[in-house]
This record gives sequence, structure tokens and C-alpha cells, in this order.
Amino acid sequence: MKTRRKNNLRGPLRQILLICLLSFGVAVHGNELQDNGVKPYPSDSAQAWLDKMSDAHSTLNYSISFVLLKPGVDSQPYLWRHGVDSNGEIMEQLNLLNGPGREVVRIGNKVSYFEPNVPPYSLQSSVINGPFPSDFFQQPEEVRASYDFVMVGRSRISGRAAQQIRVVSKDKTRFGMNLWLDQETGLMLKLNLVDLNGQLLEQIQVTACQVTEQPDPFFAKIELAVLPDVLKMRPPHDNKPIWNISYLPVGMIEIKRDVHRLPITGQSVEYVMLSDGLVDVSVYMREAQNDGLSQDILLRHESDTLLTRSQGPLNVTVIGKLPPKTANDIANSIRLAPNYD
Amino acid sequence: MSQKIENLSAWVDGEYQQHQLLDELKSSELLAQKWQRYHLIRDGLRKELPEQLNFDIAANVAAAMEFEPSILAPKKSWRDLPLMTSVVPFAKQGGQMAVAASVAVAMIIGVQQFNQPELDQPFNSAPSILGIQGGLSPVSLEQTRTLPRTDVSEQRRVINAYLNDHKQQLRFKAVPLEEQADSVPHKISQQNDNVENTPQK
Repeated sequence: MKTRRKNNLRGPLRQILLICLLSFGVAVHGNELQDNGVKPYPSDSAQAWLDKMSDAHSTLNYSISFVLLKPGVDSQPYLWRHGVDSNGEIMEQLNLLNGPGREVVRIGNKVSYFEPNVPPYSLQSSVINGPFPSDFFQQPEEVRASYDFVMVGRSRISGRAAQQIRVVSKDKTRFGMNLWLDQETGLMLKLNLVDLNGQLLEQIQVTACQVTEQPDPFFAKIELAVLPDVLKMRPPHDNKPIWNISYLPVGMIEIKRDVHRLPITGQSVEYVMLSDGLVDVSVYMREAQNDGLSQDILLRHESDTLLTRSQGPLNVTVIGKLPPKTANDIANSIRLAPNYD
Repeated sequence: MSQKIENLSAWVDGEYQQHQLLDELKSSELLAQKWQRYHLIRDGLRKELPEQLNFDIAANVAAAMEFEPSILAPKKSWRDLPLMTSVVPFAKQGGQMAVAASVAVAMIIGVQQFNQPELDQPFNSAPSILGIQGGLSPVSLEQTRTLPRTDVSEQRRVINAYLNDHKQQLRFKAVPLEEQADSVPHKISQQNDNVENTPQK
């Protein structure tokens, strides 16, 4: 009697289980088919999440309020809006809400900066130069040469379910990033810049995030004709590099080199910009002069590290969001180019 | 035991909250070791490991204390003479007062040290570069070198010039150049492509 009842129970249970398994199998299979040939990694990997993030940031209509926290500076609230109009034109606005106002508007590849004390101007660019790494949001795969992406776990940020992803430099020579993405949309909810010991250096905390069907009405009000003209930049002079940087952290490359004058002192410097897609580092080289920088200096300005050191006749300055040791290694590796006579 | 270990594993993951596990953890050497390893594994998986691992500081301190010379019980001395009993309390009090006074002096010096006016940003954290050769030391007010006044203002001007220029360079970074110079490396041309291939999904 007992065993029969057991068997009776087991029948339907097994059926349900079978159905569940089958439908799950079909669902999984369907996903695989969709992803096949497009993404070589599973849908819950950090890479897939970053793809979702870049997709969301460049295709959705959203309006995000966030607060930027930096050491030694008051917190800065921003409004960040993004929209794609019916013609596929991408529009973006970043507005600093405290103080006299500082606003950046991007329409397609034209970025206009409105700042106090400076006449408005436009640059030709596909990214806004703001407090967050815009390049990274649009093309996270660009930094794969220098950083590892690690899935950490889920938590609740700004009242929403979020997926945490850690971005760690491969050779531990650069600061890391903790990133929380909205589980549903893939938009950024929180971003921590941390040093090699995990201490917080800089934080962006989203306080409100709205995703809408239509772009924000603000974008319809922009009159394209009154946006300032695009600045024409002089191409750099074609001069032979005199100094070589022989040490670069993994994945970091030289993206710009020129000779220009510093804004305040008017000194002429040889300039090199290094970038790994996430952080940009400026390296300045000039002849040592007796002007207060004869001593070696290391200081932190907000989250930037500034390092100046003299190497014989040469004065090297490295600025960027780098651990001091890395800045020192870069400065130390600068040598006279062999082909220089 | 394996059940306990599993519970411990769940506890490290934040999924188990029975407090009796804590008591068992304290009493069992094996569990304590597992506890350490699980955390280490977790940190390793999350890439949260610090640059230097200091295992078991507590045990090292305990071992070091074993070797400390122990303090011997005081011998009988002149203090034990009957005549001195009334003098000693006074001397003791004097000693205490001396201690209190020295603490006060230390406080005053300390307060003076810490209440020095802060120099303007970003100059409140400029230690000499010599300090970082062996290993980085934390940046703090005490390490700021005192420089001759004129030097400081000149230095400040130059540093501000560098910081300003760095900001400006970051902003103009993405501007495509009108002419491709030969000395400009490949990344710039890549960036130009990117500008044209902006996501138009």
C-alpha cells in the first residue's frame, strides 16, 4: 500500500521534472543559437556584461544623476542625459549642477563645451571629456590588453539590483576599478577607482537613473546653428623624438607626442601622452632649470599623481591617475634616443 | 565534521548565520585553518589579494612575546625600611605628577604639530622623492619639507602649469588631427577610425 502511493506520487513529479528540464534545455539552446557566432563567451561573463554596458550607454535614452566624490574636493553633482533621435543621431549632455555651471553637449561627433571664463567652443570627438571614462563606456574591449575583468557578485546600488565587475590591471601597475552595472539595463550605477591596496580614490555614485522610450525633450530644444564652431587644431610639428621612454606598463601605448608651451609659465616642453584606454598619462620633458622644480617632487592632486624628477640635464614630470611607483618607473626609464645627434 | 566545513564555507559566502559556528570555530584548530584558507581563496578569486600577505600576525606576536625577558619580582630594597614608608608615597606622587606633566607637554607639542596651518592644495602632500625608493610611505603632513618661501611659490606656479596643461591635453586628446604626421604613432589613426565608426546601432 505504502509503496504504491509512493509510486503514484513519483509519477507526476517525474513528469514535471522532465518538462522543466526539457523547457530549460530548449531555452538554453535558444540562447546559444542567438549568441552563436556573435559572442564567443558565456552570457554571464564579465565580458558579456561590459558589452551590455556599452550597448546600453550608446543606444538607450537615459537621464542619470550622479555625484562625483574626489579626495580634498567638495562633492560634485552631475546630470547626464543621452538620447538617440529618429535619424539615429546620438545626443549627449553633461551638466555640473553646482556653482556657475559647466555644460557639455554632444551632437553626433561635435562636442561643445560651455564653461565659465572661457568662450564656448566645440571639438570634433565622439566622447565627452568628463569625470568618467567615456571611452571605456563606449568601447570596453579596447582596454582588454591592459586589464582583466572579474565578475564579483550582485548587490543593491541606488535601489536597483546591480552586478559588480572588477577591472584590474594585468601587471598591477595601475589603479583598479570597481564597477556596478544595472542588472536590467546594463547602465553604470556606481564606479569606484581604487588603489592597489583597495583604498578608495574616487567615486561616482548614481543617485537617479531613468530610461525612457523617447529622448529627453531637452535635446529637441538645442539649436544646432548656434552651437560654437569646431576648433581647428594645428597638427604637431614633425620633429624627431629626442627622448625614448623604454618602460611602459602592459597595454599602455604612446598616443601623442609634440612640443608645446605650458599655459602659465610659458615654458617650452616636450610632451608625450600615454594611454591604455582607461587612464591617460602626461609625460613632460625639458631641460633642468633653476625655477623651483630643481628638487624631486611627488604629490597627489585629487586622484592624479604628479611626479617630477631630475635626471642629469633633464627634468621629467609625469602626471596621471597612476600609483607613484609606476610614475617613477616611467620617469626612470627615459633615455636619450640613440639616433639623436 | 564535513557538515561543519560546509557550513563554514557557506558562512564565508555570507549564506549561513548560525552563531554556534563561531564558537566551534574558536575551539577547533582545523576549522580555524579552513576559515583562513576560505577567505584567502575568496580574495584570490576576486583578485582582492593585497600586495603583501602577512599570515597570522597574532601568532607571530605571541611567539615573540614568549622570548621577551620576563619582568622579575622586585627585590627587597631600602623602601622596605620602616622609616621610609612615609617618604615613599610622597616620592610616588611626585613621580606621578612628573609623568602627568610630561604627558601634558607632549600633548601641547602634539597639538602644535597638528594644528599648523595647512598649505594650499595640492601642496599639503609633497614628500621628497627620496622616500619612495625603497617602498612607498604614506603621504602626510609631517613629511612636507619646509622650503624657502620664494621657492615654494615658484614651485607652485610650475606645478599648476603642469596640472592645467595635463587637463587641457586630456580634453584635446580625441581631436582628430588634420594631417597625419609620420612621427605620430598608430593609436591616433585608430582613434580617427573610431570617431567615424561611432556606435550607430
